[in-house]
Amino acid sequence: MKAILILFLTALVVLFTGLTGRRGALKGIALSGLLLALGVTLTDLLGGDAGNQDTLYANMFVFDSYALAFSAVVLLTLTLIVGLSGWSFRQLNETLGDHYGLMLFSACGALVMVSFTNLTMLFLGIEILSIPLYVLAGSRRRSMDSNEAALKYFLMGAFATGILLYGFTMVYGATGSFDVATIAEKVRLAGERKNMLHIGILMIIVGLSFKISAVPFHFWAPDVYTGSPTLVTAFMATVVKTAGFAAFYRLFAGAFGDAAGFWGIALSAIAALTMTLANTTAIFQQDFKRMMAYSSIAHAGYLLLGVLSIGSASGGGDQAILYYSLVYSLATVVAFAVYMVVSEQNQDNTFAAFRGLGHKQPALAALMVLSMLTLAGIPPTAGFFGKYMLFVSAFEQYTWLVVLAVINSAISIYYYFKVIVEMYFTQEENAYAANMPKGYQWALWAGVLLMAMLAVWPGVFSRLVG
Amino acid sequence: MSAYLILIPILGALALLLLRPGQSRVWALAITIAVEALTLFMLSGFDPQGGLQFGVNLPWMAEAGFHFHLEVDGITMLLLLLTNLLTPLIVYAGFNKAMESESRYYGLILLMQGALNGAFLAWDGLLFYVFYELALIPIYFICAIWGGGDRVRVTLKFFIYTFIGSLFMLVAFLYVYLKTPAPHSFQWEDLVAVQLTASEAWWVALGFFLAFAVKMPVFPFHTWQPDTYTSAPTGGTMLLSAVMLKMGLYGVIRWMMPLAPESMHEWMPVFVGLAVTGVVYASIIAIKQTDIKRMIAYSSIAHVGLIAAGIFAWNKMGVQGGVLQMLNHGITVLGLFMAVDILERRLGSRSLYDMGGIAKSAPRFAALFMIVLLGSLAVPLTNGFVGEFLLLLGVWQYNPWVGAVAGLTIIFGAVYLLRAFGLSMFGPTTAQTEGFQDVRHAELAVLGVLAIWVLVLGFFPQLILGLTDSSVDRILSAVQF
Repeated sequence: MKAILILFLTALVVLFTGLTGRRGALKGIALSGLLLALGVTLTDLLGGDAGNQDTLYANMFVFDSYALAFSAVVLLTLTLIVGLSGWSFRQLNETLGDHYGLMLFSACGALVMVSFTNLTMLFLGIEILSIPLYVLAGSRRRSMDSNEAALKYFLMGAFATGILLYGFTMVYGATGSFDVATIAEKVRLAGERKNMLHIGILMIIVGLSFKISAVPFHFWAPDVYTGSPTLVTAFMATVVKTAGFAAFYRLFAGAFGDAAGFWGIALSAIAALTMTLANTTAIFQQDFKRMMAYSSIAHAGYLLLGVLSIGSASGGGDQAILYYSLVYSLATVVAFAVYMVVSEQNQDNTFAAFRGLGHKQPALAALMVLSMLTLAGIPPTAGFFGKYMLFVSAFEQYTWLVVLAVINSAISIYYYFKVIVEMYFTQEENAYAANMPKGYQWALWAGVLLMAMLAVWPGVFSRLVG
Repeated sequence: MSAYLILIPILGALALLLLRPGQSRVWALAITIAVEALTLFMLSGFDPQGGLQFGVNLPWMAEAGFHFHLEVDGITMLLLLLTNLLTPLIVYAGFNKAMESESRYYGLILLMQGALNGAFLAWDGLLFYVFYELALIPIYFICAIWGGGDRVRVTLKFFIYTFIGSLFMLVAFLYVYLKTPAPHSFQWEDLVAVQLTASEAWWVALGFFLAFAVKMPVFPFHTWQPDTYTSAPTGGTMLLSAVMLKMGLYGVIRWMMPLAPESMHEWMPVFVGLAVTGVVYASIIAIKQTDIKRMIAYSSIAHVGLIAAGIFAWNKMGVQGGVLQMLNHGITVLGLFMAVDILERRLGSRSLYDMGGIAKSAPRFAALFMIVLLGSLAVPLTNGFVGEFLLLLGVWQYNPWVGAVAGLTIIFGAVYLLRAFGLSMFGPTTAQTEGFQDVRHAELAVLGVLAIWVLVLGFFPQLILGLTDSSVDRILSAVQF
């Protein structure tokens, strides 16, 4: 709760400071607010408050270790994104405060989504997360693509929310409650209105699948990712996805665990479609951001394995999702950060933007290699351990799906390596120039160091959620 | 102590990659020689009868039963020798030519060495998998940056091919791992203790086989190999053929057979059959080659096919011969690729028809090339003889007919190797070979050392057989079917 309040206050301060025109102070305020919130969350998480099961506001929230750990991931990712924002937002003047404010408000929604114990709070969280993002997606007002992205995202998002709400009402009708624990009780007893419950669960799956961009509800993602400003895309691909999966798992483990035999079928089909279609489509992309959009859809497919583990005895899906979403977020932010520099400086949106980076900027290229290898899940990067945890969590019940995921991760190498090929295997004469903007390094290196740390001590994280 | 064999090369690699010192090749040579010295020191303290030694066991993801667990037995010791005796030579062989971004090249070679040592030392299934894959990254970059021809496409094919293969191994490992009593464990003994049904073991064995068959490569999974060997830089080809493919053979002995023995009654004829088919098939193609590097690439498929057949036959002669021949093949193939590199650099061509009469102007080169070539031919009193003899005996024990077909390798080998030698060294000199400079300095040293080993191991095969004998017995008695 403390983190949500801190974020909210910071967002307000940033908004009003933005009005006064003190441009230089904005990033600092946003960053210090985020770091404070992160510090508070980590202190609670490590300092024994993690076992806290007290519910707040008439059973609306509980800030247990699960909620705190996912809050930390969200805050950490956003800290890196804001850290990288100085250069990318350099041309904004009067709207700079709005940008930071909207990002922080959106993150408040993400924190609500990971800590709800009541369906109404989940709904509010999703809306608080989404509405600022609709604005941010359209923040390049003169760009047609950006406008298209905003409109598409808004329409699709509103549509998904509608279905989700409809699902909630069905579940309410079947169980008579919005409270997660009460619903779980009713589901366990498997009462008389079972069909209504099942329809409700299916609609919730559809609604959440829109948010996490799982096939066949993913059509908005490539266009929205491509059209939005790159930093906003990074935000959508990381923070939104992390919060979405945290909410997905929390809801299904908390409320519908005993109906896993029913929804497992639908969800495993969605997972299979998601990874296969996304990976096979990503191969053919020329535009880097479109490739990353499909890659993020593919990762949603792998992450669904963690949700599917709810029904199985071995479990461990929560730890796997936590670890994987952190690793995935770090690698994605680093990849987008490098892309932002090379694509803007060379006016090139395709893979060719990275041409010859290995010659011109060896350090930047090395960071990019690490993040591509992490996304591809190649040992001994943290991406591998993440995939490993997800695979193990679902292996016993969904062996066929794990085999499919394995084949898919092999396919994904092809398009991640296209970047590496561009960076290293072109002649030096043809290389693009690239300058590292000032104040950019620390966020990049922080992301990379964290990725390396997670690879060396993958066990550290699994102890946090329990 | 064994952990240093991984740590020193990897730290050295990071230092070279990040700090980019001048004279990085000297640094790389110094580091590899230090690792070689450490290996020899370990060998001096190693007791062949003593079971597992030099153990290291640290938790990595302890809750998941994943440990940084290293052990050394006779077979591992032999492969450590192979890796760490040959890597300094591979580094030294690069001294001949100026190299673009040198520190990166040598850094990647060191990274490769660390990963290979890790794969041979690993006593934990997942750790083996991690190192097995880690080795792929540096070799990919070595081949794709410093290679020639259609290197980008060829090496990407190689990478994806081998990566898909090893992912099936990961699935197989996971399957067996989840069968261990909870909390699960990846430790070798625990994995081996799992009893699978015949049909489960069938799938597990298939998963491992796909990984190792691509790596070795066994027919019909070899299609990446000739292209990759040909387009890779010499150092890359040497690493691939002399050391890296041994990971596949080692994996069969250490992991595949022990983890899925229940299915071997069904699989063994298939595996041995494919391996022997590869021997004949690759030999015939080798005879038709005019590009000498490609010819040696195919000859390597043939020789490795025979080693694989011996190991798959899973009897004392076959496995012992296979283990011995892993070292021998590493030595001879390194020598052959070194000779090819010398020819290519002097002549600017690898075609046998551009060569001829080189023995006249370069007698030392011709002599050393001959010794290495005879080792590859398995002529008595060279290193290859004992190994191939044991292997053929092993396959023969399994099935005399298959043994007879496998024996063709020696005849075919004589045909293509002697033909290549004759065409290049004897006959009239051509425009290119006029004034061919004899080997000197680094070239002489590397070829000379390899030739000495060919002869020493030919005279005293007991040096190696004694090292691995009791370990082979132990693994054979632990894994019966």
